[in-house]
Amino acid sequence: MFIKKSKALVVLSLIMSALILVSGCGASKPAETAPSGGESKEPIKIGFLGAKTGDVAIYGLNTLKGLNMAIEELNKEGVLGRKVQLVEEDNAGQKDQAINITNKLISQDKVVAIVGDPTTGITRVAGQIANSKNTVIMSAGSTGTNVVEIGPYVFRDTLLDTIAAPATMKYVIQDKGWKNVALITSKNNDYSVSLSKIFSDAIKSNGGNIVIEEFIQDKDTDFSGQITKIKSANPDVIVFSGYYTEGALIMKKAREVGIKAVMVGGDGLQGDDLMKIGGAAVEGSISYAGFSPEQPTPNTEKFINAFKAKYNNELPDLFAAQGYDALMIIAKAIKDSGSADPVKFKDTLAKTKNYDGVSGSITFQESREPIKSPVYLLEVKDGKFALLKKVPVEVK
Amino acid sequence: MKKLLDNWLVQFLLFLCVLGLTAFITDAIGDVLPPYLLMIGLFIGINLIMALGLNLITGVTGQLSLGHAAFMSIGAYASAIATVNYHVPFLGGVLIGGLVACLFGIVIGFPTLRLTGDYLAIATLGFAEIVRVQFTNMKITNGAIGFLGIQGSTTFPIVMTIAVITLVLMVWLENSRNGRAMLAIREDEIASSAVGINTTLYKIQAFAIGAFCAGVGGALFAHTTTFIQPTDFGFMKSVDILSIVVLGGLGSIPGTIIGAIVLTAAPEILRPLANYRMMVYGVLLVIIMIFRPYGLLGGVNLRQAVRRAFMLTKKKQAGREE
Repeated sequence: MFIKKSKALVVLSLIMSALILVSGCGASKPAETAPSGGESKEPIKIGFLGAKTGDVAIYGLNTLKGLNMAIEELNKEGVLGRKVQLVEEDNAGQKDQAINITNKLISQDKVVAIVGDPTTGITRVAGQIANSKNTVIMSAGSTGTNVVEIGPYVFRDTLLDTIAAPATMKYVIQDKGWKNVALITSKNNDYSVSLSKIFSDAIKSNGGNIVIEEFIQDKDTDFSGQITKIKSANPDVIVFSGYYTEGALIMKKAREVGIKAVMVGGDGLQGDDLMKIGGAAVEGSISYAGFSPEQPTPNTEKFINAFKAKYNNELPDLFAAQGYDALMIIAKAIKDSGSADPVKFKDTLAKTKNYDGVSGSITFQESREPIKSPVYLLEVKDGKFALLKKVPVEVK
Repeated sequence: MKKLLDNWLVQFLLFLCVLGLTAFITDAIGDVLPPYLLMIGLFIGINLIMALGLNLITGVTGQLSLGHAAFMSIGAYASAIATVNYHVPFLGGVLIGGLVACLFGIVIGFPTLRLTGDYLAIATLGFAEIVRVQFTNMKITNGAIGFLGIQGSTTFPIVMTIAVITLVLMVWLENSRNGRAMLAIREDEIASSAVGINTTLYKIQAFAIGAFCAGVGGALFAHTTTFIQPTDFGFMKSVDILSIVVLGGLGSIPGTIIGAIVLTAAPEILRPLANYRMMVYGVLLVIIMIFRPYGLLGGVNLRQAVRRAFMLTKKKQAGREE
């Protein structure tokens, strides 16, 4: 009886191992080692990591638009006499899929660099893998901490909150003279929690003071409690570090109770829903961005026109511009170093200084953290984001 | 008595052999397979461990739980805190993850398991939300920003070995007195309590063991991704694990294995379809559920089937010899 049971056990485990083997082998063609030397005429492969479906798909899709433009432009002349080919995969915004894709791009497709992910969380996960496999990864969107610290192969070309938020606060407190600040944080939003820390430091260092600090949650709709308290604190300005939906609802409530102060926030406020939901209440709200199609430099203007021609008169957004820049910087590093081997061109890439990108000038510091200039301050005017000021950032 | 002991020993030795074999084979596979496939295999293993736990709760004992991701997150965070903040070795961290999740399974089990069916499902759903919100607001978990700096210690052989241990223990449990009591509860709770089965006790047992498996799975997950956020363990994660169990066949262990393999590998195998990938994935689920409403292996007694095939060949051989 017991022996029989054991037999069944053995059979069962054998079946399982067999299944695992079968599923493993069935999943792919054996990864043939493609010739990847510098002399071959094989295309240089660049991977795209991002979400094309799911909650954050819009970031990925727009990045991809920028990337496709960059590919088209690069292939007019080629890079080191080779074509550039984009291998795009969808991670649906999920970490386990991102891990699988990163491994696939590196081990099967043999990409030399990956552009993505637009979000910080997935870049951290993918960055670990790419760095350990000596493949360059350039995130066109992540702004959180602990990204480039992963290792020498991890880059990003985004306007960092640590640069933009202080610049914004300097403008608000010193130029506008709004010294008394009400700071609102969305507690269950990682972006908001970390941005609030930066805002609060910047407010203090610019001579402002936080008269009241309130907390909300993403997807909340009733902010009466917080707003009533804020009204009694009588601030000059409301700084909100979260996303546009909550921002719009907060301002609606604020106007209802008679608060006159405007809202200032990060790039999380940039969504057309801010005006759709907020209407007149968000008029005058200020936020910063790493890109604006207004008052373009000649280089940016060329990009905007080409983008409009390719995508049905659509204006490029931040992610499209950063995606484009990301690939162009990588291509430049490959050209300059004369090698498509990430081990070699990563050092050239890290030395990029004052690169004239379409989203602004990009300089990598020694830590590989980018300094981007300018910071675009945008103001809501007549229901639209309008450029308020370009604040240049000094490269030390 | 002696014979029994011998047989237990034989069983135990066989178990060790299987484990050794698994470790050996998976280690060998690990050297050959490209990292991409290896990672898929690893996630199959992690999902299998968690799904086996849920299979015990939902498939065997018949208690619909929509909060499995909560136990997973408890295991993930507990193990991450143990290994990062207290420098516990990796496997110790995995064990701690499982135990803490198990503890919560028991604590949650007492009040909620008096409920049945839909009511229990809603209660577990609520529990999962509470856990997620709690992790979002705790200091030690670094809130919504997420827990950073976990070592990527999880390897394919470790996951597979743990999966086989879980598998063997589950088969063993299902055929034990406790397992049969759990099955009886699924078939008819009132009747089983009438014949003297302490239904609450066995339900809590199932919950505790299931939660332990989820905790272990969560711990392995955390040490694979090296970075976890409360959003990783949302409602959809619970549904994903439940789909594995339901698709494979409620209460069927071989079914759960197939479910884990199919549902984990499918999104990757379907990758060439690009934008139609998740649509085809959904269609596949619908088709399977139409043609196999009890799951791929639901209602199939694999052991009987294998035995029958075995007997058949034996008979044929016997016939030939004659």
